[in-house]
Amino acid sequence: MKIDIDRYKEIIDTLSRNRSRTLLTGFGIFWGIFMLLIMLGGGDGLKKMLGENFAGFASNSIIIGTNNTSKPYGGFKRDRYWLMDASDVHAIKTMVPEADVVTMVEAQWGGSFAYDDRTYSGLLKGLTPEYTHVESPKIMFGRWINDVDCGQERKVCVLGKRVWENLFPGGEDPTGKYIKVKDLYFQVIGVDSRAGGININGSPAESVIIPYQLMDRIYNKGGKFDIICMTLKEGADSDAAQDKVRALLAKRHTIAPDDKQAVMMFDTQKIFSIVDNLFKGVNILVILVGLGTLLAGAIGVSNIMMVTVKERTTEIGIRRAIGATPKMILSQIITESIGLTILAGIFGILFSVLILGGAGNIVSHLPGAEGPVSFQIGFWTGILVLLLLVVLGVLAGLAPALRAMEIKPVDAMRDE
Amino acid sequence: MLIELKDVNKTYFGAQPLHVLKGINLGIERGEFVSIMGASGSGKSTLLNILGILDNYDSGEYRIDGKLIWDLSESKAAEYRNKMIGFIFQSYNLIGFKTAVENVELPLFYQGVTRHKRHELAMEYLDRLGLKEWAGHYPNEMSGGQKQRVAIARALITKPDIILADEPTGALDSKTSVEIMELLKELNEKDKLTIIVVTHESGVANYTNKIIHIKDGVIGEIEENIRHDAMIFGADGSLK
Repeated sequence: MKIDIDRYKEIIDTLSRNRSRTLLTGFGIFWGIFMLLIMLGGGDGLKKMLGENFAGFASNSIIIGTNNTSKPYGGFKRDRYWLMDASDVHAIKTMVPEADVVTMVEAQWGGSFAYDDRTYSGLLKGLTPEYTHVESPKIMFGRWINDVDCGQERKVCVLGKRVWENLFPGGEDPTGKYIKVKDLYFQVIGVDSRAGGININGSPAESVIIPYQLMDRIYNKGGKFDIICMTLKEGADSDAAQDKVRALLAKRHTIAPDDKQAVMMFDTQKIFSIVDNLFKGVNILVILVGLGTLLAGAIGVSNIMMVTVKERTTEIGIRRAIGATPKMILSQIITESIGLTILAGIFGILFSVLILGGAGNIVSHLPGAEGPVSFQIGFWTGILVLLLLVVLGVLAGLAPALRAMEIKPVDAMRDE
Repeated sequence: MLIELKDVNKTYFGAQPLHVLKGINLGIERGEFVSIMGASGSGKSTLLNILGILDNYDSGEYRIDGKLIWDLSESKAAEYRNKMIGFIFQSYNLIGFKTAVENVELPLFYQGVTRHKRHELAMEYLDRLGLKEWAGHYPNEMSGGQKQRVAIARALITKPDIILADEPTGALDSKTSVEIMELLKELNEKDKLTIIVVTHESGVANYTNKIIHIKDGVIGEIEENIRHDAMIFGADGSLK
């Protein structure tokens, strides 16, 4: 079949001179595409928004906490409380080959921070420089605590975003300023703007972070703490690592090896994979529903085209009488169908892109938004949808075109 | 002999088989201006459909310019219709959403003629039929006579061997009918076109040079009508 501009002009003519018919027929496709893209974009945006919450938190970390024992063991009664110390950290580092970074975490609630005449209550956390491998900070001003701070037990601190906002409402760089924490003055060395939906011992935004050694001293902990965070080496088996850590700690602290309550473990990998699977499921659902709507639209197009073919019996008969072959009629109807679906589909794409853009803009500016949110569909999703439209156009046009082919010029004249 | 029919039979198989054409023998020379006349039910429409390659016949032979028209594929039939036959219908059969000039262009479109050439030729034919000013108008903006002239331009544009006119004045008033018949007569005389008019009106038939009467599926009398006095009607220029 020859391809020339005239054929397309012919199609555009037919579509544009039967506006209401074109509009009605196209609406099904428009709606299908619109729904599909809105759902895809919305689902993706939500995933990104949730992903934002996980951002910065190592997805392969294990958090180990101490708790009362639930079983009597080795001469001890049940309900004994135990704590870990630096030697446990060292033991895990040396005895568990899967372990990468192992570090203690100390936190105290209800600390009051003051600067000038302003106060704010939040969390005081004692951390080590290594902790950044578990939860990587988003440094806004200054820096995070380092080995020298810890070694020299410098009275320095890193502010969480909300603490900084409340103590320094002018939004100025607080580094070098001194804030009052529990009757002691700490020099601010940085601000961490990470909001973090996933966190240990409370939100980083509400925290003031000081070197662990200093924390231990201020609160008279005697080198004891109740939480260890560790990350695993690339590709390490999380379950095996947990078993080894549990056995090691049970042995060191005379705890029943099967006492799961006493040694609590929290595996972020599992949480991440649950969320991941959830979104995979949501995506499949969205695609199924969207394609269903689109298919319904295509069937609608097919249906209306069928009726219009019947309506156009005379026209098609005339075309046949003056020399159009059945093949030409077939290709005309199918091209009309493709043209219609693509036209309607492009409007659907444009409209959904507009709506998604607007929604992203609104959500980004909502109070409490964690920064810009985008619901927008990807470029290649758009291209894929466009290809899908062509296929749908052919499918929708097939049955009407076959019927149109059946029309004989004599039928047309009889139809008057 | 441009058109040659030998013992052509056609039966419609419905609830009751209807033997419509019972052995038609007919010959029409190139350049003739003939009418096929008969009452409704005489088989003249069926004969027209067969002549126009719009319908098949059951037995016999039909040749155009020596070419046997038998068992043609749909596309071959379409090609023959496009190249050899120009149709003029009672109800004009113009496409409503196309302008006059676009309607005239359509047969050339199916021949694959480029747009520029097509348009030029269509304008030329519209000009010849006095419709140049109406080229951009849609059929529903034109009078019956104008529409029929557009249809004639469409029939002429492929330079066909045969013009088949099916009741060309059926929907027109008498004055316009005369104009159309005069136009067909002129085309026959000046351009030596072969024109076959199917009609049941004797006044229309009287315009042609030969009247073929068909009755109950067989050819009856064939009148030579060079002096256009075969009928009472039409002799003084009034048709209806």
